[in-house]
Amino acid sequence: MQQQRQSSTVATARPAGRTLDVEDVTVRYGLALAVDGVSLSIEPGEVVALLGPSGCGKTTLLRVVAGFVRQAAGRVRVDGAPIDHLPANRRNVGIVFQNYALFPHMTVAENVAYGLRARGMKSADIEARVARFLGIVQLEGFRERLPRQLSGGQQQRVALARALAVEPSILLLDEPFAALDRNLRLDMQIEVKRLQRVLGLTTILVTHDQDEAMSVADRIAVMNQGRVEQFDTPLTIYDRPNTLFVNGFIGTTNLLGGHIAALADGHATVTLDAGATLQVAAPAGLASGAPVLLSVRPEQLTLSAEGGPQRWPIEPGLSLPLGSQLVHEARTSDGVFLKIVEPRRPVPPPTGRSYCALAPDARPSLFPRPT
Amino acid sequence: MRPLLKFSEWQLALPLGLAFVALFLAPLMLLVGVSFFDDEKLTQPGVASWAKYYGDPFTYKVIADTLLLGVKTVCTTVLIGYPLALVYLDLPARWQRVLLFIIVMPLLLSVVVRTFAWIVVLGREGLVNQLLLSLGVISEPLRLLQTELGLVISLTQIEMPLMLLPLISVMSRLDPNLRDASAALGASRWRTLFTVIVPLSMPGLVAGCLLVFASSTTAFISQTVIGGVRLIYLPLVIWQQALIVFHWPQAAVASLSLVVSVLSVIAALSWLGRRSTGYVHG
Amino acid sequence: MTSLRSPTRRSLLAGTAALGGASLLPRVAFAKGSLIATTYPGTWEDAYRTVVMPALKKKDDIDLELAPLFAMDQVGKAKAARGAPPFDVFVLDPGPRIVALEGGLFEKFDGKKLTNLGKIPPSLVDDAGVCVGAQVVGIAYNPKKVPAPKGWKDLLVEPWVSRLGLTGFQTTFGTSSLIELSKQFGGSLTNVEPALAELKKVLPKVAAVGLPAAMPGLFQQGQCDVMYTNTQTVATLRGKGIDIAFVKPESGAIAFFTTMHIAKGTAELANAYKYLDLVVSKEIQEALTKPPYNFLPINKDAVLPPDLPMKSLDEMTGYVQHDWAKINPLRASWIEKFNKEMAK
Ligand SMILES: Nc1ncnc2c1ncn2[C@@H]1O[C@H](COP(=O)(O)OP(=O)(O)OP(=O)(O)O)[C@@H](O)[C@H]1O
Ligand SMILES: [Mg+2]
Repeated sequence: MQQQRQSSTVATARPAGRTLDVEDVTVRYGLALAVDGVSLSIEPGEVVALLGPSGCGKTTLLRVVAGFVRQAAGRVRVDGAPIDHLPANRRNVGIVFQNYALFPHMTVAENVAYGLRARGMKSADIEARVARFLGIVQLEGFRERLPRQLSGGQQQRVALARALAVEPSILLLDEPFAALDRNLRLDMQIEVKRLQRVLGLTTILVTHDQDEAMSVADRIAVMNQGRVEQFDTPLTIYDRPNTLFVNGFIGTTNLLGGHIAALADGHATVTLDAGATLQVAAPAGLASGAPVLLSVRPEQLTLSAEGGPQRWPIEPGLSLPLGSQLVHEARTSDGVFLKIVEPRRPVPPPTGRSYCALAPDARPSLFPRPT
Repeated sequence: MRPLLKFSEWQLALPLGLAFVALFLAPLMLLVGVSFFDDEKLTQPGVASWAKYYGDPFTYKVIADTLLLGVKTVCTTVLIGYPLALVYLDLPARWQRVLLFIIVMPLLLSVVVRTFAWIVVLGREGLVNQLLLSLGVISEPLRLLQTELGLVISLTQIEMPLMLLPLISVMSRLDPNLRDASAALGASRWRTLFTVIVPLSMPGLVAGCLLVFASSTTAFISQTVIGGVRLIYLPLVIWQQALIVFHWPQAAVASLSLVVSVLSVIAALSWLGRRSTGYVHG
Repeated sequence: MTSLRSPTRRSLLAGTAALGGASLLPRVAFAKGSLIATTYPGTWEDAYRTVVMPALKKKDDIDLELAPLFAMDQVGKAKAARGAPPFDVFVLDPGPRIVALEGGLFEKFDGKKLTNLGKIPPSLVDDAGVCVGAQVVGIAYNPKKVPAPKGWKDLLVEPWVSRLGLTGFQTTFGTSSLIELSKQFGGSLTNVEPALAELKKVLPKVAAVGLPAAMPGLFQQGQCDVMYTNTQTVATLRGKGIDIAFVKPESGAIAFFTTMHIAKGTAELANAYKYLDLVVSKEIQEALTKPPYNFLPINKDAVLPPDLPMKSLDEMTGYVQHDWAKINPLRASWIEKFNKEMAK
């Protein structure tokens, strides 16, 4: 799945960063394919999030880039030059592990200084660099502590400082925020994004958390079973998911069954099983009469009291206020449960709205219905 | 009202404590008691046995040789065992099981069998000599049996499980990411070994050294059968005094010398061990 | 030969005896017709369990219980028991026999109570006990590897010295052999210095210096091809198909006798005599000469096994014998001396 290289504002802001190209990388553990022909082209200074369910190969792909795992096929290039022949200690790749992997017998300062010592830096310089990076992660007062004397969040910051202190050209983050509570996680996400920008680091961030991917990443690669299903900006992935898997994995969605009644220049007329006929944008490869699923985000649906050809009847269920939004549940005539979101207004919504329709700006996605 | 029976935790340990006193402390005290008799009939209390033993310069040579044998065996088991443990960690699970079986096997054989097997290997007409002779490396059989070299070689094999088992158990609990983290930070394999893996496996290494040291300095059968009786270590002296000459006070003095000298080395080792354990768990 | 494992058990038993603790062999109340006799661990125990035990039950309906104990352990236990012996009959080698005798541990022995008295050479019965087996000690060598040595002195010259396996004063046969060697260089029963001095000169050439129990194994593996040992060991090794031959040294082979004694204060006096009478009988003595036991008999009617240096029992009683009353007090210092002289 070759992607068009696209430039982002972040990338152009820091020409110091490096490009990272993963080309058709395949990794096997025994007979099992952990990574199956993955290609990603990452711009200098860009943050790419790897998003996908557990076991889909995210960590494995990071380990290939870091040089811990040898791929069965494919290449990794930095600034166009292959790095596959380089051992891990000569790749200049910074990595923060899922479990931090701090050296338990070394103090915070020693952990941060570790990579600098390995590079033979003068001890005065090491001292300065350690102080600087501990300052950046706000752990100046913790220099002499051992990792086990730190909280999870503090450990994670040490791991980050340790990885950044050697000034790597590429930063790999394996679910770095998983162990943090919500507030700290937000702070750290912002912090990492800031540092990454200041240092112009080309970054891969592995995460389970789609919100995190959305907010931190310039682009997201959604992985499933060792493959990249879609590699795009967060908004594109949200609004125009390529596959049903991506569609379901990112955000909440409603799936309505139907058939294509007619096709004309990229638009399809879809007859919903729920009882309505809609005009929507159609992807290539769909034939007239084919069974399809229409994916509509909750905020792209509206409720009304009157019916019409583009409206379908529903049976209203619970309504729940959720912060600034109101979430409604409803059931279609063919038994599908829908979620509908609308902004909460000071007055309660009218009752008796037993029809559902697409909002005017809705951009639903159409997928062939799996048999 | 106070309850009639109230068990606190130390009372639960009482049976073990009693067994310890009965089976370990009491015999040890008896040993000390016996050592303070002058004659083999145990009628004359005195310090003559101690005086005679420590008045003889030969005693110091024997003690030194015994401790040195322990040190040499510890060195060779570490030099061979540590790399073997590293190899073990890198093997796939199936091969790990095979290697573990090979490692543990010496423990499943009686010490007599192991020792005589080494006679067959190291003897004048043994495997090593026959191999070297047939390859033309040597023209005369090498003398390996009844030398300290041969003894250290065989003790290395015999004691190897005692080194490897604690080492492997500690090392396989280390986070494998630590190695990768070290490499990613630019450290070479050697640097990773000496700054990360060795310090973190210290508790296992110290435990292994302790066991090997205690076991090799007291390995009477291996020492006398493979080493012969020209190599004189404390266990041989104890055996002669206790079971040939029947001079129990002398035997007790020699036994206590062995216990004290081995224990003091062990105490030093485990002090080192405790210092390094502090970092690892918790 | 003694087993290598035994020191542990031996030390355990010895320890309790030494400390005056209760015997490990509690006196069990037996029905009439029982007897507890000691035996040496190893071949002796096997032989007595298989051959003597059933024979005694058959002949006299006596239940024999065997207590496997080394000689000095028996002495120690009997001493600790103070008049209530934990067993009824001792089996002892010459050295420990003297110790026990000095300790007054035996009932006075009356040879006339043995029906087989006439079949035993008179020198083998006295008022302490009766000989039940003999050992003839000389030089064993591998005829495929070295020519036959003629005497003790040959051991210290080529081609034998570089193939020689030595043992020290731990055993009766080792002590006796070293005394004989010493005599060849001007020493005597009580002076082994010349032997140690001569040995020290050739020590770097000597093939092996080992524990007595290890010597057969070393010989079997070709580590040494000459050693001093008894005929029983030679027969046992030959039985395993090993090339080994026995030589009676020019100055004479050494003979010593294993004796049995009745413990002072025993309640089973009559049964003890019955047991001893059976042990010295022709049938038992002959049965014990067979492989794998290879004992030497003391009954004149018993047929001697083949490959022995003597034709008759009388010839054997004429061999060199040592006075262990003189050796015993010196042995501890000899053992220490041997350690120091031989130590690397
Ligand atoms: N060392 C290994 N040996 C064999 N199989 C492995 C190994 N490491 C990973 N795998 C397998 O490879 C696949 C991908 O694993 P990987 O760790 O890359 O997943 P992940 O996407 O990081 O999952 P998670 O989100 O749970 O961390 C999984 O099916 C896993 O079982
Ligand atoms: Mg992972």
